[in-house]
Amino acid sequence: MNAITMTVTVNGEPRELTVPTHETLIECLRERLGLLGAKKSCDVQVCGACTVLLDDRPVSACTVLAFEARGKTVRTIEGLACGDELHPIQAAFVEHGALQCGFCTPGMIMATVALLGENPSPSVDEVKHYMRGNVCRCTGYKRILDAILDASRRMAAAPAPA
Amino acid sequence: MIIGTAAERLDAREKVTGAARYVSDLVVPEMLHAKVWRAPVPHARLLGVDGSRAARSPGVVAVCTATDLPVKRLHYGPAFKDQPILAHEIIRYAGEPVVAVVADTERHAAAALALIDVSYRELPAVTSAAEALAQGAPVLHPALDRSGHFRDLSGLRPVAGTNVCQHYHYERGDVARAFAEADLTVEDVYHYPALSHHALEPHCAVARVDGDGLAVWTGTQHPFPVRKELAEVFDLPLAAVQVIVPLIGGAFGGKCYTKIEPLAAALAARVRRPVRLALTLSESALTITRHAVAVRLRTAVRSDGTLLARECDVVLDTGAYADIGPRVATKAGYRAPGPYRIPCLSIDARCVYTNNVPAGAYRGYGVPQVTWASESQMDQIAERLGLDPLAFREKNLLKRGEEYVAGDTPMDGDMADALAQTGAAIDWGRARERGRGVGLACAMKDGGGTHTVSTAAVRVNADGSVTLLTGSVEMGEGSRTALAQIAAETLGVPLSAIVVESPDTSITPYDHGTSASRSTTVMGLAVEAAARDARGQLLELAAKFFGTEPEKLAIHDGVVACGERTMTVGDVVSGHFGLVGGEVTGLGTFVPGTWSGSLGGATLFWEVGMGAAEVQVDADTGEISVEKYVSVADVGQAINARECAAQDEGAAMQAIGPALFESRVSEAGHLVNPGLIDYRVPTFADLPRELETVLIENRDGPGPFGSKGVGEGGTFCPAPAIANAVARATGVRIKDLPMTPERVWRALRDARGTRRG
Amino acid sequence: MLGEFDLVEPTSVAEASEVLARHGDAARIYAGGTELILAMKEGLIRYDYLVNVKTIPGLAGVRVNDDGTLRIGGATSHRALERDPLVRERFPVIARMESDVANVRVREVGTLGGNLCFAEPHADPGTLLMLFDATVRIERKGGARTIPLEQLFVGPFETCLEPDEVLTEIVVPPLPVHSGAAYLKFGFLERPSVGVGVAVTTDDGRVREARIAVGCVGPVPRRMREAEAALAGQTAAESRNTLAEAGRIAARASDAITDLHGSADYKEHLVGVLLRRAFEQALASSDGSGAP
Repeated sequence: MNAITMTVTVNGEPRELTVPTHETLIECLRERLGLLGAKKSCDVQVCGACTVLLDDRPVSACTVLAFEARGKTVRTIEGLACGDELHPIQAAFVEHGALQCGFCTPGMIMATVALLGENPSPSVDEVKHYMRGNVCRCTGYKRILDAILDASRRMAAAPAPA
Repeated sequence: MIIGTAAERLDAREKVTGAARYVSDLVVPEMLHAKVWRAPVPHARLLGVDGSRAARSPGVVAVCTATDLPVKRLHYGPAFKDQPILAHEIIRYAGEPVVAVVADTERHAAAALALIDVSYRELPAVTSAAEALAQGAPVLHPALDRSGHFRDLSGLRPVAGTNVCQHYHYERGDVARAFAEADLTVEDVYHYPALSHHALEPHCAVARVDGDGLAVWTGTQHPFPVRKELAEVFDLPLAAVQVIVPLIGGAFGGKCYTKIEPLAAALAARVRRPVRLALTLSESALTITRHAVAVRLRTAVRSDGTLLARECDVVLDTGAYADIGPRVATKAGYRAPGPYRIPCLSIDARCVYTNNVPAGAYRGYGVPQVTWASESQMDQIAERLGLDPLAFREKNLLKRGEEYVAGDTPMDGDMADALAQTGAAIDWGRARERGRGVGLACAMKDGGGTHTVSTAAVRVNADGSVTLLTGSVEMGEGSRTALAQIAAETLGVPLSAIVVESPDTSITPYDHGTSASRSTTVMGLAVEAAARDARGQLLELAAKFFGTEPEKLAIHDGVVACGERTMTVGDVVSGHFGLVGGEVTGLGTFVPGTWSGSLGGATLFWEVGMGAAEVQVDADTGEISVEKYVSVADVGQAINARECAAQDEGAAMQAIGPALFESRVSEAGHLVNPGLIDYRVPTFADLPRELETVLIENRDGPGPFGSKGVGEGGTFCPAPAIANAVARATGVRIKDLPMTPERVWRALRDARGTRRG
Repeated sequence: MLGEFDLVEPTSVAEASEVLARHGDAARIYAGGTELILAMKEGLIRYDYLVNVKTIPGLAGVRVNDDGTLRIGGATSHRALERDPLVRERFPVIARMESDVANVRVREVGTLGGNLCFAEPHADPGTLLMLFDATVRIERKGGARTIPLEQLFVGPFETCLEPDEVLTEIVVPPLPVHSGAAYLKFGFLERPSVGVGVAVTTDDGRVREARIAVGCVGPVPRRMREAEAALAGQTAAESRNTLAEAGRIAARASDAITDLHGSADYKEHLVGVLLRRAFEQALASSDGSGAP
């Protein structure tokens, strides 16, 4: 077959889609669903600007095929904030200056969601190891690290909605 | 007072929620998609293009070569009009755009590329500056057509019959005598590699032809110069060309001046529909690069450490087209001696054409390359003389008020103090154990750009909200926020009242561009002037309402106060017009002075950057681990405390890349590592255990509230500071970047061999 | 951009094998796709049919037999191995190696079987697993065979698999009692430049057996049997003295090539350095419980 009809839950909403088998997840999200937060950058799974969560696992949307999302949940940056209220990770990024041009930011934040979901109190080395695959050309990473550690403290104090 | 606070970035929320729209997110109705067929060889005569199979491919609307483009001028460029929109008759670098395909989808356009047949006859290529300078090398541009766009480039000196498109020369004092009388002369050659900017958002432009005019949405740092270039390409009046720049995903100089806009526009004109041209990250690396630079440095010094003379020979590989290379070469030459008092100087900087990817602006603009040489050599000299490297530098550093070059602005900062703070931050005096060392470096650049103009407008709306019109591009550096803070502070309104419009040459007033660390100062002064103008008008109007003199009034937090009586700024505006409408507009312009120092214009401020590194070297593998890096930036006054420090940190980390592992690798004119799998950029794994930025704020800058520019200084010092630390830790001196583990290991091994043998 | 292809989703290995046999070069197994889709996007290879092995039940998963043998389904992700409690407890060096493969996103999606079958020279898993004398089960319609992992790799991006064969399981025997193992890699590019694995089995203060594997440096990962022989039977102290020579032997045998990752002589040098360091680590963890 060269097209697949599937149900995908995107940011909590079930969607029925028919996608060609060659369509990548990022093409599906950006062009079919209008979710422009995830960015296409290196296209070789190195930079992480395309990071989204597939069944809560961080994946490179540039290289994962869209049909692999069938029957699964996809979470993108657009699904993180609760109305006007920022997720603690988003708030921490803002406060710590963990973004400049912002192009890596959606991917960076989604990778952080996955990290803290798995490991709510990571050490500095654990953060560096997990986040090694998310590249930022602007910030130099220090403030991103500070934001992630701060977010983990905030979330431990007052758990965010899932 | 909002100045100096860590106010939230105006664009923070949209960026963390994914709502931010970058140029590559843009959809223009009816737009078609373009892809580019690129030359597979570095130098060839183009014999023919057969696009017929491609033209018949599904979805394809047009297949264009240079002669198919409906343009009045095929060539563009900020210094020389040497770069064709598509290769014409000659291919000059591997990766050069030769054919463009326009189709209904990106996929269809990409598929058609494989169906294009291009015939060419290879020519001998020169793939390094040395080859291009050798006797008998092919001359890549026999005739050069000056662009005449920028005053400081009016004095370009290409060398006819060669590949040198700019030769900057400066000398003062009796250099020969100084060398003859010196107690010590040191001469070395250093190499700095070509780098890829790799801003995460690749180059992207969407062009639309509108009746008699043209609109282009593009990720450029120079909307107005691009407008001018497009106007000349299409022979249109400036007012008929509109360049719009939304948020862009990083630039670092790679989006300076004109890049893919003429091609997008020409294709749109050809097909009479909007055309989107979005490059991949690898294609961006084939569009522009940093200059690879070789520096031969010869320095004469007295045994007490007094610098007597410096001879700098700087050669820059500018690739197949000059781009802004001639200015980079001039600046590199000008800055090569370093921030020191040196009576005798002889500087030659040559910008050389080669069959490589064109080189242009890159954060630091020549300073990282020449500083790699000069600050490495300072430590070598100190070692030979038995002097402490910090004391040796301090002895020769320019003092506040001292001239660097006759006629240019004297040093406006206290560098000795900055150096002392740098030393203190790295605990300079403490001895480190074997295999560990500390090193430092200091540098400066003439900041703010040369002969550049900025204009801004502040529109106070009838409800008290304020629209700031500025051509400054928000590419991450935070200019949008800093300028809004300046406007808010000057006007007397809360920061939340300010909305900053995106640069749009049809709407936002003229600005030279966002580069050269100029926006806080030059555009800042324009914004301040505009806000002051608007404030003055508001006070005049309010004075009428209050029945008093404007001098008796104050505006604070959006409210005009006259003793106990108050009136909101919005009410002043709407009250004046007698309805809820109307606006008060302030205009401000900054035009630089017209002195003539060596660069033909006085420097606005000196961007001083210093750095110190503590490293650990693994002698078995050669791996350098940067344990701590301190960056010191003299910023005058940080407009936004957090964003200012963040810019400096980011600059330092970015420069740690080429110090340790980052570089382009080319073989026979072919870029071997265009993408991120084989081109190594700094990641989380490279963050030193301690990374610190020290901001020096003496309020002694020319910008608003005593500010200077910032953003590039952090890139100057990491490489030499690390090399100096490695030298002190291991005794080996490395003169070529990057200092990969293999290079270090080989240097250690050779040193052991030399000692034994 | 990714070319069009027909997706086939078999529910058994036999079915997969049949499809592969029918289409030959026009078909390829598709698991995680982290290498395959990447190469297809770049236009380096193209296939008319991709055969999805993730739809075959039982092809992913980790089990440990009663005798301590680790059995890994071919479609098991790197991340699953990294996080599996049994792997972490019984084969911690494997869990550690897996945790350092590429980045977390590649590990979530990429599979061990896919990694081994793509045979990218600059990779870690093959090098370490052959230290354990791992074997791979290869099935096709109408038959199956088991071969030592080392024999799988024929050349860069080339395995000994027939077009209709599917690598279904990687079988990793435990090391003997009183063994320790370590895997060290080096490099600053995205893929590793040098990888050395060492396993040491001790017997009353002597190195009863040393196993050495070197990867990334040459066209295929290999066991360095000549270097291993040089160390066997020595006391711990003696073996330390022999390490330099063992390193030289291993370096020469590694077929190092000069490429973007470094010069051949530097890589050979690193083989020696990593061998020495991995040996010390392996020796240190060989005392005690025996979990490598």
